[in-house]
Amino acid sequence: MQQTFIEILRRALDEELARDPAVHLLGEDVAAGGAFGVTRGLAQKHGFARVRNTPISEAAITGLATGAALCGLKPVLEIMFIDFATLSMDCLVNQTAKYRYMSGGQLAVPLVIRTQAGAAGGAGAQHSQSLEAWFIHVPGLIVVAPSTPAEAYGLLKSAIRLGEPVLFIEHKRLYTMKEELTEAAGLPPIGRARIARPGSDVTVIAYSAMVHSALEAAQLLADEGISAEVIDLRTLLPLDMAAIAASVTKTHRALIAHEAVRNGGVGAEIAARIGAELFDELDAPVLRVGCSFAPIPFAPELERALLPGSADIVRAAREIMGLAG
Amino acid sequence: MTAPTLADWKEMYGALWRIRLFEGHVQRLAAAGEIPGFPHLSTGQEAVAVGVCTQLEREDVLFTSHRGHGHVLAKGSDMQATFAEILGRQSGLCRGRGGSMHLVDAANGVLGATGVVAGNLALAAGAAWAAQAQGRKNISVVFFGDGATGAGVFHETLNLAALWRLPVLFVCENNGYAEFTSREEHSNVKHVSSFAAPYDIATQTIDGNDLPAVFAAAGVAIEALRRGAGPYLLECMTFRMAGHYVGDSQQYRSREELAEVREKCPIERLKRHLLERGVSPQELDGIGENTKSEVLRAVERALAGPRPDPATVLQFVYRAPAFAAIAG
Amino acid sequence: MALVAQHIPKVGLVMDEVKVVRWLKNVGDELVAGEPLIEVETEKSVVEIEAAASGRLTQILVQAEGRAAVGDQVAWIESAAAPAARTAQTPRTAEAEAVEPTLPAARSAIPAAAAERIRSTPVARKLAAGHGIDLTAISGTGPGGRVQLHDVRRAIEAPARPGAAGQSLSPMRRALARAMTLSNATVPQFTVARSVEWTVLQELRGEFSAKWPGGSPKLSANDFLLQAVARALIEFPALNATFSGDPQSADARIVHASGAHIGLVVAVDDGLLVPVIHDVEQLSLVEIARRRQNAVDSALKGRSKREEVGATFSISNLGADGPDRFTAIINPPQSAILAVGRRRDCVVARAGAAAVRPMSDLTMTVDHRVADGRLASQFLARLTGILEGRHWRLE
Repeated sequence: MQQTFIEILRRALDEELARDPAVHLLGEDVAAGGAFGVTRGLAQKHGFARVRNTPISEAAITGLATGAALCGLKPVLEIMFIDFATLSMDCLVNQTAKYRYMSGGQLAVPLVIRTQAGAAGGAGAQHSQSLEAWFIHVPGLIVVAPSTPAEAYGLLKSAIRLGEPVLFIEHKRLYTMKEELTEAAGLPPIGRARIARPGSDVTVIAYSAMVHSALEAAQLLADEGISAEVIDLRTLLPLDMAAIAASVTKTHRALIAHEAVRNGGVGAEIAARIGAELFDELDAPVLRVGCSFAPIPFAPELERALLPGSADIVRAAREIMGLAG
Repeated sequence: MTAPTLADWKEMYGALWRIRLFEGHVQRLAAAGEIPGFPHLSTGQEAVAVGVCTQLEREDVLFTSHRGHGHVLAKGSDMQATFAEILGRQSGLCRGRGGSMHLVDAANGVLGATGVVAGNLALAAGAAWAAQAQGRKNISVVFFGDGATGAGVFHETLNLAALWRLPVLFVCENNGYAEFTSREEHSNVKHVSSFAAPYDIATQTIDGNDLPAVFAAAGVAIEALRRGAGPYLLECMTFRMAGHYVGDSQQYRSREELAEVREKCPIERLKRHLLERGVSPQELDGIGENTKSEVLRAVERALAGPRPDPATVLQFVYRAPAFAAIAG
Repeated sequence: MALVAQHIPKVGLVMDEVKVVRWLKNVGDELVAGEPLIEVETEKSVVEIEAAASGRLTQILVQAEGRAAVGDQVAWIESAAAPAARTAQTPRTAEAEAVEPTLPAARSAIPAAAAERIRSTPVARKLAAGHGIDLTAISGTGPGGRVQLHDVRRAIEAPARPGAAGQSLSPMRRALARAMTLSNATVPQFTVARSVEWTVLQELRGEFSAKWPGGSPKLSANDFLLQAVARALIEFPALNATFSGDPQSADARIVHASGAHIGLVVAVDDGLLVPVIHDVEQLSLVEIARRRQNAVDSALKGRSKREEVGATFSISNLGADGPDRFTAIINPPQSAILAVGRRRDCVVARAGAAAVRPMSDLTMTVDHRVADGRLASQFLARLTGILEGRHWRLE
């Protein structure tokens, strides 16, 4: 039976709530079902003590979730839009991420912060961002960005069970995506990428919604005889360089595609690492496809003009292959 | 809560001295360049630490600020390990990774000091929530200075704690200064306890340098918390005898202020109180002397502690060492 | 007693660096100025370097297998003579040094092109290195001519087809390419042509064969050409010269040769060599023949001694199978080159009637900075006159 991304996330949370009494959900409107309906029905099922609404106080609820995680709970905190993670930053960066280290290993923070990112048409500059690059810069955090419902299901469970502070970044455009969950899926480990599509001419590294643009691009490239290998990173921090290395050693060409602004994005880190660690394998410069450098505009045609898509990936791949246009 | 006996008071007298002498060594060694960074001394504010923490169980959790040495000691953490951490030694509480502003003694319920003003108020509320959610009886205490009331998260946390009736004790050491600015300059609200009413939180303002007063007020608050009455905001008026941090020459305080400060020293005041109750000066001096050698021994042992091995620098970023390596 | 430095002189025109093959004398040996002292390998061949002074070889600074650039000092000679002995070198050397100033300005154009960085990708370089392939031999199909992985793969798969991916240059071909490019770029060249009739010479050859000393090499057409050109050069000293310096600068001058030093173009395996025979005007045909044969043999064996220095004129004779006529390119720093077409029977006008005579077309290419058309054509007329005449010095 096909379920949407939202339904499958809900299922994962439901199962984890049932499995481990330490798991608690909290966030703005979470008990009421959440802004996108992910937590609908869970408070009724598991009790309002375990699925709680909070005031609009990102700073305090991030601290609350962190303090609770220090003391035996496994909170899953929902930050409604990654754009509002800005309000969580002091706690997330200065406390949550650093507790294990600063305490010399005495304390752990088994906390999952679920949030969502991306542009979906008309949400405007403050509700459309992809800010994952900020968080891969913080030692102590784990950053995960699933690309499909089935992936999200497994990765969310893995994250809840990991015992580290995990920023779990969903994509608003994927919320309506449907997939059937098979039992065979298993729980993908945190820190391991997957090959979404094998290929031999160029490695396309992507995550979250961009994986789909990459797969579209790979099909278009295949029509021209270019075989693209698409890697779905799944985890952005820590990065699965072994998977990237295996692929680039085979194809000798790489590009990274993400919806986030290209300047200083996750792609920049990956490109630098490929250049440093896989230099002798490269047959072309490593390119990045990302959003142009402007806030996301409100008008749909402006938003479309800014955001990267499969056409940009195709263009970059062709450039890497040495083909014009 | 039973009233303390004379023996209890004498023990608390020793506890005050312990903090005072410990901080004296910190000051001395910091001036000599032995201590990395800039430690913040709680000299003069000992009564708040002792008055509150003496009434806490081991399972009660404590959070404090950058000026937290006194609270950590008063909660019962090992002096040597605490001093070693301030020195940055491998034998310190946090293996030299935290330092003065980030002391953690998890086994003793000290869940952490923070260097960010108001940085862990919400964490304390979270710890209280965890106890409540898991049916545990322990309470959560967080010490902070009056400067923290300028932070948005202070107000957010009071609201949340009240809303969820969390067993968290907010103890504000109002020493009249936020870094180098006096309270009048950074808040229209004279007393921190004024912030409690809007959130319907129980509160009291007391003389933080009067140990018996602190003890009594804290006792009331703690008892209410254990009863499940919800959060409590205890404002303790006190004075900073040393500067904001070691090395701060206190240009911003007048000579009269400093003289007044010495007169209000909590140790002096408790001594007077105990002498009035019939304790001999010799006994009090004896307690002082014993504490002096106890502290000195701990400090000397801390100074002899091993320094951390640089090869271990990536340990404890994540539980799995492999993650730190993968993260590049 | 004075210490004299032994340097590597320029022995070829386009020559930067030599490899010392072996020292012909040991430290402590007595040397005679001018005797062969070192064998060095240039781009084109092995050359002997002569001792710069007489005396005792006291120190060798560059051993066998070592490399030295032109002008580098490679040894010390303890000379009995005063330090001024340094200038007591053979006239040839002095000329060589005089000729040198022409070159540096012109030569700088070539090294820059040769030194251009090859753009290639890391994995292409890795594969090429692994197969011992010279990246300069591969033409890159990537952006900006970047050599990419598939370019190297193709080169590996098809090494025997130089046309496809290109062939790397041997040192000889590289030297020739540089010399010819230099000539084209810096020397304004024009040609004058004239036919020569071999009738008289053919008769005389028969006569000369009878008188030919035993054991001497057989007379060849080139020997006659050499003697004739030498005589003409002496009669036209203006053409027996080389242009030195930058025409734009005040230093430019025309340097006259001390005698008729003529180069003979010899085809070898991979290209050309131009051994020089010096003072040809003083030589009889027998001597010319001997020198010519030695020079050609040495060239063919890849061993030459001071091959190109000092000549102002070269002869290029492509032989019986050669073209009717052709235009040769001047060998810098020389001023002229004579291209000799094949001997063939032609119908010519003689005394108003048609006759059949053995003829060749001579095409002379001349440096216009040294000579203009009138001088060139006068020279060529005189040359043909000598070749068609009976006046030869046999012995």
